This record gives sequence, C-alpha cells and structure tokens, in this order.
Amino acid sequence: MKSRVPIPLRKLIEDKQSVKNKKQQEELNQSGNPNSSKTKNQSQNPVQNAQNRSKDSKNHQTKLISSDLQYNFDHIKKTLGNSSDIIIRDFQAGKNGEIKLGIVYTDGLTDSASIQDLILDTLMVEIRNSDLDVEIPDCFEMIKSHTLPIGEIVEITDFQKFFNHVLSGDTMLLLDGSTKGMALGSRNWVDRGVQEPSSQTVVRGPKDGFTETLRTNTALIRRRIKDPSLWLETKQIGEKTQTDVAIMYLKGVANDKTVSELQSRLNRINIDAILESGYIEELIQDEVYTPFPTIYNTERPDAVAAAILEGRIAILVDGTPFVLIVPALMVHFFQSSEDYYQRADIATLIRVLRYLSFFLALLTPSLYVAVSTFHQEMLPTPLLISLASQREGVPFPAFVEAMLMEVVFEILREAGVRMPRAIGSSISIVGALVIGQAAVEAGFVSATMVIIVALTAISSFVFPSNSMAIAFRMLRFLFMILAATFGLYGIILGLIVMVLHLNSLRSFGLPYLAPNAPFILQDQKDNIIRMPHWSLVKRPRLISKNDTDRGDVSSPKPPR
Amino acid sequence: MKKMLKVFLMLPIICLSGCWSSIELNELAIVTAMGIDKTEDGYLVSVQVLNSSELAGDARSGRTEVVTFRKSGKTIAEAIRSLSTDIPRRLYVAHLREIVFGEEMARAGIAKPLDVLSRQKELRSDFYMTVAKGSTAYDTLNVQTALEKIPANKVFDSLENSERRWAPTRTVTLDELVSSIVSKGRQAMLTGIYVYGDPESGSNVTNAQNISPKSGLRLDYLGVFKKDKLVGWLNRNDSKGVSYITDHVKSTAVNIPCEGDQITVNTTSSKTKIKGKMEKGNPKIDINVTSEGSIGEVECTIDLSKPEKIEELNKRYEKDIKAKIEGSIKTLQKKYQSDIFGFGDEIHRTDPEAWKRLEGNWEQEFANLDVNVTVKAKIRNLGTISESFQKEIEE
Repeated sequence: MKSRVPIPLRKLIEDKQSVKNKKQQEELNQSGNPNSSKTKNQSQNPVQNAQNRSKDSKNHQTKLISSDLQYNFDHIKKTLGNSSDIIIRDFQAGKNGEIKLGIVYTDGLTDSASIQDLILDTLMVEIRNSDLDVEIPDCFEMIKSHTLPIGEIVEITDFQKFFNHVLSGDTMLLLDGSTKGMALGSRNWVDRGVQEPSSQTVVRGPKDGFTETLRTNTALIRRRIKDPSLWLETKQIGEKTQTDVAIMYLKGVANDKTVSELQSRLNRINIDAILESGYIEELIQDEVYTPFPTIYNTERPDAVAAAILEGRIAILVDGTPFVLIVPALMVHFFQSSEDYYQRADIATLIRVLRYLSFFLALLTPSLYVAVSTFHQEMLPTPLLISLASQREGVPFPAFVEAMLMEVVFEILREAGVRMPRAIGSSISIVGALVIGQAAVEAGFVSATMVIIVALTAISSFVFPSNSMAIAFRMLRFLFMILAATFGLYGIILGLIVMVLHLNSLRSFGLPYLAPNAPFILQDQKDNIIRMPHWSLVKRPRLISKNDTDRGDVSSPKPPR
Repeated sequence: MKKMLKVFLMLPIICLSGCWSSIELNELAIVTAMGIDKTEDGYLVSVQVLNSSELAGDARSGRTEVVTFRKSGKTIAEAIRSLSTDIPRRLYVAHLREIVFGEEMARAGIAKPLDVLSRQKELRSDFYMTVAKGSTAYDTLNVQTALEKIPANKVFDSLENSERRWAPTRTVTLDELVSSIVSKGRQAMLTGIYVYGDPESGSNVTNAQNISPKSGLRLDYLGVFKKDKLVGWLNRNDSKGVSYITDHVKSTAVNIPCEGDQITVNTTSSKTKIKGKMEKGNPKIDINVTSEGSIGEVECTIDLSKPEKIEELNKRYEKDIKAKIEGSIKTLQKKYQSDIFGFGDEIHRTDPEAWKRLEGNWEQEFANLDVNVTVKAKIRNLGTISESFQKEIEE
C-alpha cells in the first residue's frame, strides 16, 4: 500500500543546548567553506543535538552548499559513493535554458509521480510559458514562492541537512549560482498499512494498530484527539539512523516537569542507531536493574490516546509500531483498553481476574514446590493422597521436576514465537503430546506438574501487556528457588523483597505503585475496580497535576 | 555494580543453606491411624500407612490400599522409631485420622501415651480418639472396610456421621481428652470401636470385595473413664442420655409407644442447658432440654390430624428423653461414680467458693448429686402424609 507522506512538521525544541549548538555551527561555518554566506534560516531547522556534538569528526556534513552546481553534484556523488538508488537529474529551465537546475532524490523513498508532475513538469515545461527575466538569486525565491505547487518546502544551506532530507525521502532542488537548496516534500514509500494490532487484541474496540511509519501513527492519534493543545515535537536521534522520534502530549494537561524531563532525557541520548522504541525505552528508563517495565508500550492508538488524555506522554519512534508511554505505573500494565469499552461491572470482574492470574503466574509452581516438599500438613488429606500417588515413581524431586517443566515450557513458547508460521502446528503437537502426555505416561513427570505448568502458562497470557508478563516469567524461577530452599517462608520473604523493590521504583518521578502506595483514594475508582464513565470525572492525581477535571458528567437518569 | 555483586554473593546463601527439612511426597509414609496396646513391659504400637498409588491415580496394581505395621517398645516414641526397620519411608503423622487404644491399655491408664501425642509437633489435633472394645487396638487396624478405602477415614467419618445423626457416639479430639482427664470436675469418655464378623477374613484385601462384608468396624457404646482409666461401658440408651446432657444431640430417632406399636420421631434439633447451684450447702443441677422433631414413622393407627393426639405424643416424646437422661445419670452415679457430664465444672463456674470445698470429694458428691431434669419436646411436623394408611387397611 502506498500513501503520501509529507515532511514531518518540525518544531524547534528549545533547550539550553540549542543556543550553544548554534554558536558552534556558526564558528564552523566561518572556518569551513569560504564561499558560504551566513546561514539565515537556522531557526527554521530542527536542532540535532546528538549530531552536533559529534560534528567535529564529520566534516563533510557541515559543508555548505556551493553556488557551483557541478561542484555540488560531485560532492554528493563522492559522499554517497555513487549509490545507485540516489537519483541526480540536472536540467535547464527558462526560455533559452539559461537557468541550470538539478534535483536529487532517493529512489524508493519518494513519490515518483509527484516528482514527475509537480517538479519536473513544472520546472521544465510550464516555466517556459512564463517570462523569466530575473537575476539568479531572485530566481530561487521566485521558484519557491511562484512556481512549485508543493506543500512542504524547506530551504537548505548545508550538506548535513541536505543529506538528511534526501535520505528521508525528500527531493532536493539545487540551482546553479545559488548557495541555497530546496527540500521538496515528496516522501512516499511502501508501507504495511494500518492493520489490526497483533500483540494486543480486543473483542470490542477499535481494531486499527500502529504501523512502522511515524506519520501514519501520529495521524492515528490526531484522528482521536482533535484538540489544539495536542502538541507534537519531533527530533532525530541516532547519528547514523537519524530516526524520527516524536513526543505527543496534551499541553496543559500533561505535567510540564515530566515533559521537560523527558525532553532532557531524549536529548541525552548519544547513540548511532535507534531501530526500535526498545532502544529509547532502555536509554531513558528510571531504574536499570529491575525486571519490571517502567515505560509502557503499546500497538494500540486508542490506548495511546487514552493515556495522552490522562496527561501522560507518548513517544513515537519511526520504524516501529510500538509506541512508548510515560509515566507508566504498575496498575497500567493490568489495564486493557477494552476495560473502558465494556460495561463497568464486567470490566471490574476481569480486572480482579487479572490480579488473580498475576499471583497464579508468579506463584503457582513455587507454591506447589513449597507445599509438597515442606508443608504437606497444609493439604487436605484426600488431596495429599492424590498428589502423593502422582509423585509415586517420579525420579526427580518436586523442585527439579518443576524447573524442568517450566524450562521446557519456556523453550516451547520461544520456539512458537520464533519458528516459521508453516510449521507452527507441528510444534504444538510436539508440545502437547510429547510434553503433556508422553512425559507423564513415561513417568518422568507427574500429571500434577503438567497441570501446574499449564495453569502458570495460561495465567501469564492474561496480561494485556507483554512486558509485565515477562517480568513475572523471570521472577517465577527465583520464587521457585526460594520455595525449594525455605518453603513458604522463602516465598513470603521473596514477596516482601519484591514489594520493597516495587516501592523503590519510579517512573518519571512517579511512585510505581501509585495509586496503591501511596494510597490515593480518589484514583481507586479506576484501579482494581473500574467505575462507570460518568463517575470517572477526575484524571489520575499524580499524573496530571494541572488539569484534573475531565468534565461535569452525571449519571444518566430516565426521563420523568 | 557493587550492589549487583552483593546480590550475587548472597545467592549461595540461598542455595547452600536450606532444604534440610524438605521431604518429597513419595518419601512419606502417610499414617492415618495409630493403635496403642499394652504389653508386659511397654507398648505395642501399630500404624496404618497409606499406599497412595493404590488409592488414587491409574497405576493400581491390586495391592492393599493400607498397610498396618506394628512394633513394640518400652516407650511409644521408641516403638515408632523402630518401625523404620519395617517401613522404608518416613512416618508422617500430620494426617492422622484416628487413634485407638486397646481396652487393656485403656483400663491401665492412657495418661502416659497421651504425653507423646501432645508433645509431637507434627500431629494436628483434629483426629479422633477411640477405644477398642474388648480387643486390642491392632485388631481394629487390621480390617478392610467396604465403601471407604481407608479404614481410618471410615472410622473418622462414621464417628462424625453417627454423632450428627444417631447421637450415642462421641467424637473426642486429643485436646478434649487431655483437658477432661486433667479436670477435676469432668471425666473423660471415648467411643468404643469393635470388629464385627470374622476378624480373620477382615484383614484380607478381598473382604471389601464382598457385597456384604464378612467383617468390618463398628462404633458403639461410650467408654467411661475415671481419671485416665477406663472403668466401663455405657449401653446405647445411656450413651444417648449422655449426649442429651452434654448437648451433643443434633438429630436422632426417638421411639415412642403408641397403641402397642411404635412411632418414631426424628429429632431435628435439641438444645440442652445445664445450670448448677448450691442449695443449703448441697450442689444441685438443673437440666433443661428443648427438643423438636418430626414424625418419621408411624406403625399404629393413631389419628395425627387431631391436636390432642399430637399433644399426647409430645408428652410421651418428652418422657422418653427424660427416661434416657435420668437412666444415664443413674448408671453413672451408682455404677461408675464418674462425672463424664462435667457437672463439677458447672458447679465450679457458678460457685467457685463452694467448689473449693467440694473439689476434694467430688466423686462422692457426684454419686449423691441431686439432678433435676426438665424436658420440653415438641413434634413440629408430620412428614408428607398426615394420616397413616394402616387404618384404611384395617378397616
């Protein structure tokens, strides 16, 4: 599927460094090319901090555009190594062909039809009918403001931005005799299209999901929030990849401090490549040594829109359908967007079910190990007898048995994700028959253990967020070791340590366990229970401190 | 990094320490019943161990579901330890369901065996104690029971079931037994258990394969204790009387005469209140029983639709209960002089001063105790038919 994608709206991000960078650049410009004129349109261009910092080693990028067209072409070819997907086309315009022009674009990232119709056709054919008796510097202005019917035009003076635009899919127009170039918006590439998100499905609710194209993703959010205070800031991160990273938030609702903290954390990133939002997540999270995610990620535009409306901030990264949301509290990982589309009563019950399955996923194998090897007296006699009869003839201790089966299950799960689709069914047969049945019949493992592992596995799939499920997957093994060593005592110790650790976590300054610890009564209406929408009149208190009123809603009443 | 190193160094503590008290399920010999008999110079301890793979799961081989082992020793603890030469697994007594004392053991005194039972930390106190009537404890642990695969469970459930529905038996836990042995104003009682039928075939695994088992375990009669020694047995009516007095009747069947035949009233609820008082320096006990029931069976031609007839039945119903209560009091006062009702405790509660005086000679005082019994019984409903069709047949 093809879609027209204009140049992203670029916003200047004003921070302390930008002033410094400007100065740096000016100095470099003066010492660099003697032909260059001073850059005037600096403020219109995005400031790329990470890039500027490493500029000293990348001299060719700061080189300014020369007034000699052929010199520019040679430089472009030299820098890009004659790459075959870079198309350079020079031509003449004007009645007698007195104006020499050239366009440069990347094949595959551009819309060739619009280059044909809007740029080449205009400049080569239609321009002949008009009278061009202006000097060449003015000619540049004339083409920009008079001739080209293109929405996005950015003036460029140096090669660093030149390459950035060309490699992002814009078409560069260069004019002989002018030290400026024009970046013409013509981005268009093959796109997967908006599809149903594969990682977070719902029964009721919108079925569209984010794609790999940033612009499509921002559009999906804008479609949901038509408010002028929905602000979007874009910057490029990654020295080599120049990945567009956008943050979206509701100005006035989002906490300004969180926004500026996020900006400064993003500015601090100095890395060569950002290929997925996971890179950003690991580079800006609050606590590094924790299995728990402190940044939420989702494929669902409705979840992002809801988060933005709560006052949270979305981070969109070009090239991935996974959008990050900060701050992320523990409760958010237990909430599915469907909770808000279903009736409140069933949504509440399902949330309770999720918390139950949280404990099941985390503790079932360890509880089994603890009770069956330390606390047999806790079991009712008939249950003990049936468990004991299962264990009869099993060669391994319960802990080894549990560890074995859990590892086998993890292998099966990983294989299921990784293997080619076509052999998927054969793996499930192997899993179900070999592990489930044959192992029990052969007496390697007890049937109880298979039930326990299956229960654990199914419970861990209940979470709406995969990243939280991963945390429990890892912790489960720790708890099993504790259970095998100290029994229930070990499990309780582990839980205490886990809760202490969770209490120490923060996500962009917010306590991770809020609104449970610290306890916020007002936010309990959307915690374990989900109250009906007419009672959800306040935004979460800690997240949006400024504007917590969602409106004056009252419970619907029948007419009198 | 330093923090990580610390955590890493702490890991061996977890891995190298613990596990010492862990034990796998298939290393346990789950004891469900224990029998204690007296020998010439010590005890004979028998344990009934579950063979769990024969009880559940699908790998049954046709062996017996429970195995009874016995071993003698100078003390019970010694005998239990020495059982390990017979049993390849660790004896696990947390799931014990019953303890049986041989009659000889019970008559000699059970205080000493009770010490080891109370001291043992693994024992939960939710099992029931019984006395093997007229036999050794080992004999009662040597019987296959029908329906319930685990004989100890059969005893446990039968005790609870018959206490709830029939009344003359009594569930007694370890704590209750110890506290009534120690108490001066109350004596202990335990239900009797005996093997009916042919004891020889009882231990055979095929016993439970007969539709009508050749032998089995039966619970009946209350054993009366004085201090820790068994002094005798109460018959069924007296046992029921004891249950009425101690407010243990939940439901039972009461036969009352009617025109030469019988009517059975199913007691559906019964409440007993005991009040002790001192009158002119003499202890006195008032027993108030309120019983309600429904007609369960009518064999005579009485016209139940007439209120005066019901009133008459109520009177006889009351009379029957009263007779049982008074009979049991009489038996215990005259025959055993053992206050299993806890009348002494009642006097203690109402008049501690007087109790101090009476305490030393309570056995004598109990034998001459003045007990006043009032019974209020009422038939509440007649079942699904009001008038018996006996009458129509006769007409």
